[in-house]
Amino acid sequence: MVKLRLTSDALNLDLSSVESRIKRFIRDYVKKSGANGVVLGVSGGVDSSTTAAIAALALGGHAVLGIALPEEETYSVADVQHAKLVARKFGFELETVDISPILTSYFHSLPVYDVADKLSKGNLKARTRMVCLYYYANRLSKLVCGSSDKSETMIGYFTKWGDAAADIAPVMDLYKTQVRQLAVHIGVPKGIATKPSTPALWPGHLAEEELGIKYETLDLILFGLEHFMTTEDIAKQMNLPVEFVDEIKKRWLATEHKRRPPLTAKLGYRTVGSDFRLPYTSR
Amino acid sequence: MALAQLSCKVGDKEHNLNAMKRNIRQAKQKDANLVVFPELALTGYTCRDLVYELAEPIPEGPSIRRLEETAKKEDIHVIFGMLERSEKARAALYNTAVLLGPSGFIGKYRKTHLPTHSAFEEKRYFRRGYQAPVFETDIGRIGLIICYDVFFPEITRILRLKGSQLTICISASPAVRREFFETLTVARAIENTVYLVYVNLVGVEDGLQFWGGSRIVAPNGKIVSQAKYDEEDLVIGRIDYAELERTETFVPTLRDLRPELFDLLKEQAENL
Repeated sequence: MVKLRLTSDALNLDLSSVESRIKRFIRDYVKKSGANGVVLGVSGGVDSSTTAAIAALALGGHAVLGIALPEEETYSVADVQHAKLVARKFGFELETVDISPILTSYFHSLPVYDVADKLSKGNLKARTRMVCLYYYANRLSKLVCGSSDKSETMIGYFTKWGDAAADIAPVMDLYKTQVRQLAVHIGVPKGIATKPSTPALWPGHLAEEELGIKYETLDLILFGLEHFMTTEDIAKQMNLPVEFVDEIKKRWLATEHKRRPPLTAKLGYRTVGSDFRLPYTSR
Repeated sequence: MALAQLSCKVGDKEHNLNAMKRNIRQAKQKDANLVVFPELALTGYTCRDLVYELAEPIPEGPSIRRLEETAKKEDIHVIFGMLERSEKARAALYNTAVLLGPSGFIGKYRKTHLPTHSAFEEKRYFRRGYQAPVFETDIGRIGLIICYDVFFPEITRILRLKGSQLTICISASPAVRREFFETLTVARAIENTVYLVYVNLVGVEDGLQFWGGSRIVAPNGKIVSQAKYDEEDLVIGRIDYAELERTETFVPTLRDLRPELFDLLKEQAENL
């Protein structure tokens, strides 16, 4: 049996095919849902820029509404400029909603609010963005298009019911490094495609710093896990301590609760989320 | 013959029936004697729990009756996939291919190999078929297989040994598997010196994108007709049974079969 080699080649894609399949997926889902397009948060990072760009290529820029949702604590001039650049290049409208006043209201209204708890505060930001996006989607008969990638989804590096909450997530089956490949392929400016990823939940928040691993390494570990490789084999091939790979695997398994509908006690004949197995059907 | 590569509306038999009828009429206008639709074309592939309400007995079900009328009226043979319910046990469902002729129902084939891995969950819903019939018709001796069956050389071999000249594989194959099917359809044609016709779905169901690419493979492995990738299509192709004899002489795989190996094969397969 030929052994799976964990080199960067393993993550290479047939980008033309991936592009057309993602575009077909978006067009098909939007059409079947009866919506008139998609709304999506555009931070100026690689995932949201690529998703917005490919949605515009699939549906036409007129059917895509990008929303920049900055807030004062993490405001970045470069990110806002990047979001505008992508909107201009791919021909979709970009609206800006400053969520700072909404956040301030939350902080004043929540008796348990603690300014020192930056994780809870960061998650509140992501969920506030989600609330705004769904408001737009409802008002304008559009779908919320998410931009989560496979690396972050697998290790649970996202806010539950926040940035991952969406009607469709067209690039969720692509690892971060693959999203970067796709970005370059469809013409997202290189400066955006290669810039360091940030969830922007607090000032100076960089994904690779917080995770303690480069996406190039993380993606290959996850690719190995996806293909049922043992952590020993992955560690050996990548010249990493096995404990390190074990930690990534644990993180992947421990965050399954973030990727599923809420778990319930099985009581009935057929139960939502387990054995109530229905297809997506058109309206 | 016509390869009718459809995109189906999941769970909407009325919509799919009407699309099939339209394609039958168009195929007839193009002088086809046979029109082939994909696997589970009547309901779409990813019906999940809806299978229990969508399945019908064969041939007594209302959908077959309606397609029979069209086949009679258009004087044409029709092959299509549908969910079958056993007459004896309500939960015994099959993934079935149906053959209709100008005089009505001719026969059926129940899928033998049910994929239950990756995104496929057929064993959860379907009972396996146990028969591999070959149908003697006015347009030749026809054997039917369904999708994942093409991964197993045994079933097409049995059909060929029973005299099939035209083996038809109806399919619902998502894009990630295209290379497998393009290889295997050619392999099954060559190793059996038989016409292998492949008709696949198109469209997107539950994130699965069916790639189309329906084709007629001649006994010598040449692609005689090929439908578009990823789009609905109706392709007309011609079958020349004289090609079987020409190829059989040049590639005499049936003459060179070694039946004694089959015992060994069985023994090994039972002890995997």
